[in-house]
Amino acid sequence: MVEPVTPANRRRDGLARPVFRALGRLGARLAGAIFVLWAVASITFFAVRLIPGDPAQAVLGGPGSQASPEALAAVSAEYGFDQPVFTQYLTQLGRLATGDLGRSYSLNMDVGPLVLDQLGGTLLLAVLALSLAWVIALALATWSTRGGLVAARVGSSLEIVAAALPHFWLATSLIVVFSIWIGVLPPISTDSLAGLVLPVLTLAVPLAGFLGQIMRESLLIALESPFVLSARARGESERGVRWVHALRHASLPAISLSGWAFGSLISGAVVVETIFARPGLGRTLLNAVTLRDVPVVIGVVMIVAVAYILMTLLTDAVSRLVDPRLRLS
Amino acid sequence: MLQIGPSIDFGPIHYWIESNNCILVGYTSGKETHSMHTWSNPHRAVRAVTGLALAGLFLTGCTANDTSNIADTGDPVSGGTLTYASGDAEPSCLDPHVGGNFPQGMIAAQYLESLVSRNSAGQIIPWLAESWTPSPDGLTWDFTLRGDVSFTDGTVFDAAAVQANIAHLRNPTTLSSTGYLALGKVASTEVVSPTVVRFIMTEPDSALLESLSQVWLAMESPAALERSQDENCVAPVGTGPFIVDSWVKQSAITLVRNDDYVSPPADADHSGPAYLDQVIWRFIPDSASRYAALQAGQVDVIDNAQPDTIVQATQSDSIEHLDSPRPGSSNRIELNSGKAPFNDVRVREAFIRSANVDDAVSSLFQGTATRSYSALSSVESTAVSDPTLFGYDPSAAAELLDAAGWGETDADGYRVKDGVRLSVQFPVSTNQSIPAEQSVFEQIQATAKETGFEVKLAPLDLSSWYAALATNDYDAVSAPYTKVGPDVLRILYHSDSIVPAPSGYFANLAQVNDPQIDELLTTAASTTDVAERTSLYADAQNRILAGFYILPLYDQQNHYLLRSDVVGLRTLPTVAVPTLYDAWLNR
Repeated sequence: MVEPVTPANRRRDGLARPVFRALGRLGARLAGAIFVLWAVASITFFAVRLIPGDPAQAVLGGPGSQASPEALAAVSAEYGFDQPVFTQYLTQLGRLATGDLGRSYSLNMDVGPLVLDQLGGTLLLAVLALSLAWVIALALATWSTRGGLVAARVGSSLEIVAAALPHFWLATSLIVVFSIWIGVLPPISTDSLAGLVLPVLTLAVPLAGFLGQIMRESLLIALESPFVLSARARGESERGVRWVHALRHASLPAISLSGWAFGSLISGAVVVETIFARPGLGRTLLNAVTLRDVPVVIGVVMIVAVAYILMTLLTDAVSRLVDPRLRLS
Repeated sequence: MLQIGPSIDFGPIHYWIESNNCILVGYTSGKETHSMHTWSNPHRAVRAVTGLALAGLFLTGCTANDTSNIADTGDPVSGGTLTYASGDAEPSCLDPHVGGNFPQGMIAAQYLESLVSRNSAGQIIPWLAESWTPSPDGLTWDFTLRGDVSFTDGTVFDAAAVQANIAHLRNPTTLSSTGYLALGKVASTEVVSPTVVRFIMTEPDSALLESLSQVWLAMESPAALERSQDENCVAPVGTGPFIVDSWVKQSAITLVRNDDYVSPPADADHSGPAYLDQVIWRFIPDSASRYAALQAGQVDVIDNAQPDTIVQATQSDSIEHLDSPRPGSSNRIELNSGKAPFNDVRVREAFIRSANVDDAVSSLFQGTATRSYSALSSVESTAVSDPTLFGYDPSAAAELLDAAGWGETDADGYRVKDGVRLSVQFPVSTNQSIPAEQSVFEQIQATAKETGFEVKLAPLDLSSWYAALATNDYDAVSAPYTKVGPDVLRILYHSDSIVPAPSGYFANLAQVNDPQIDELLTTAASTTDVAERTSLYADAQNRILAGFYILPLYDQQNHYLLRSDVVGLRTLPTVAVPTLYDAWLNR
């Protein structure tokens, strides 16, 4: 007997399909994420290995100290440098699979806690910089699209200049102006909020220029779209048209770029954390690369990869939230 | 770690401003300028500039005031926190027995002490050991220790403690490099009485006292050494004027005063506990931000000051400069005499004569470094200097090359012999050579080209640089070596040091293989008579210099900049690490 189609079981069917679809999408995402993590770990491992030189010397070395044969032998045995490279790679991969990031050659501690310890500072820096960049970009984009030709010119020039500023130059200039000349902000990081201002500005300004360019362009396109015309025809206020309709539309490319921007902020953190002497992942990574501290390099890169994947998922979700069309497809 | 509470806490800013009156004035008069957006308003921008100008005026007044304070520093005042900013890499272990490099030595000198020290005249002076007597054959040394010293964990400092420290340094699992090498001739130690420890030697060692004066061989609490290496690395326990309180990795190390301190070295300025309550030891790798932090008063002392900042600082009334060259070798370019083209003494001399070092050093170091003509640091009283060997003389260089068979020149202007170009492979460690030094190498490259040398500079990271040396893939290299006393010559120029360690590293990078030099250095190392030893080292140095194995540049640079209100800071004349024991804050 054929079950009559009722609203209830139609709803059941209708529910099941999106759930499966969502699960399938999640599974594909998960597989993709694992592949990315494996690739990142492998490429990093071999890239660091390609640098010539004896890592044991690097463990014991540093200028002014010459390692004794006994010490070198002990280090080689302890860290497994005497094993073939491929064995070392497999050992490393096996450890990673069980969530063990290994032990730092140079810092004398486990990589997991070390990296997690440094993660907070860098995340805080990146999140604040991303937020500030959004605020600046939004302000610039809305002001420059409303203020006529002069504002548009000024706005776009500011954005181009800002986007082209190298982090190290900007950081040094900000220190000279705000710490040496005016003397209101500390040049190197402190535990207070004041110490965060210059590093966050350094990261936010170039990114704001970049996001602003994209936002202004899509805002201009959106403002000339038919839906804006119809909103105006409905008698909505200029503010309503701009903020509710056009900007929502215009922010989409910037939102999806924020995932990428987050990654670039973490690479910018290498420069910023070094100049402002802030603890964080960037500085840890730089030290580790200099010292050929393979476990730390891989640990930091893995954590950054995870953060990057999560951020991409997040921007996807936000895009769906802002753009109903994505939810339908 | 950063901690942001629910409410915005501006307390530390206030503290930061308070710590420097000059900045406080600048802040209050220029407060219109402290928020970003005011700049977009032209009216406010004008006010801001006025504020800045006012701030500048007040700052000038303030620094003038500082200068008058310097003239009359008065009696030392106890208390306060000194912030030290190091440009070196953060050590991985605060126990200088482990590994043993300069950054470790700098901080360890604040909480660890050695058996002996050295005064500025180069004489060995008492420290934790009151006196010492070698046996006539030089095979045993008895050290009489101070009987009133305890480690900061309460453990008594005695002969057994010394024995435990030597054992710790010699234990392969400690991974000691510098300390281990310095104890090469020590066979064993013996506790004669609680205050007398005996060193039994395999052969006489005229460098024993100099070796023991180094911070890498400092004394640590045997009870603390019993802990795991991880624990000991984080908080080593010594007898020094400060105690390691906490270490937030990649942020700062906090040291607090040892209130029971009794054992300053014989050349210290005062006795009893240190003046400072606390020392914050930070790591600021970027030279410009390090100097900016000093200018702003956020830190009190910086090390690794670069020529440009030193020149700036000498024009400032609120910053002082302390120049303290490191002991051991000078900074010099070593020519690899183990292979062509530098296996020919004429080619070595030609290279040295073709390099215009004086002009390069004076222009690039802007007067902050003095040209050296010695294998040893100018702080070593046994150093022999011979300027006549290192004069810039391109025509002499050309004649030497002609005589050595490099008479032909190719299309690019380089000398050729049997179809091979006169190339000099020169790996440069970007970790060890500061930017000014790398520029000096470029100047040498340019002037040597005029004579027909093709100098190939290869900037490398530390590991790649070690690798280039280990595979003998270099003709010239600069590798300073810090050690107290002239025995460093034996490490650098005895043919034994051409034999590579398992890592491939060897110290005799000039690959000097001269039986006569070997003989002089070996004899000197076991000659305890001062005059005789000095004369043997002089003969060895003269032979090294005359063989044109090295091109001396300047001493190993070691510059500190400090706020003028930091009084009494000096470096230990052993390895030129700073000591904050006598330092106090005149504010």
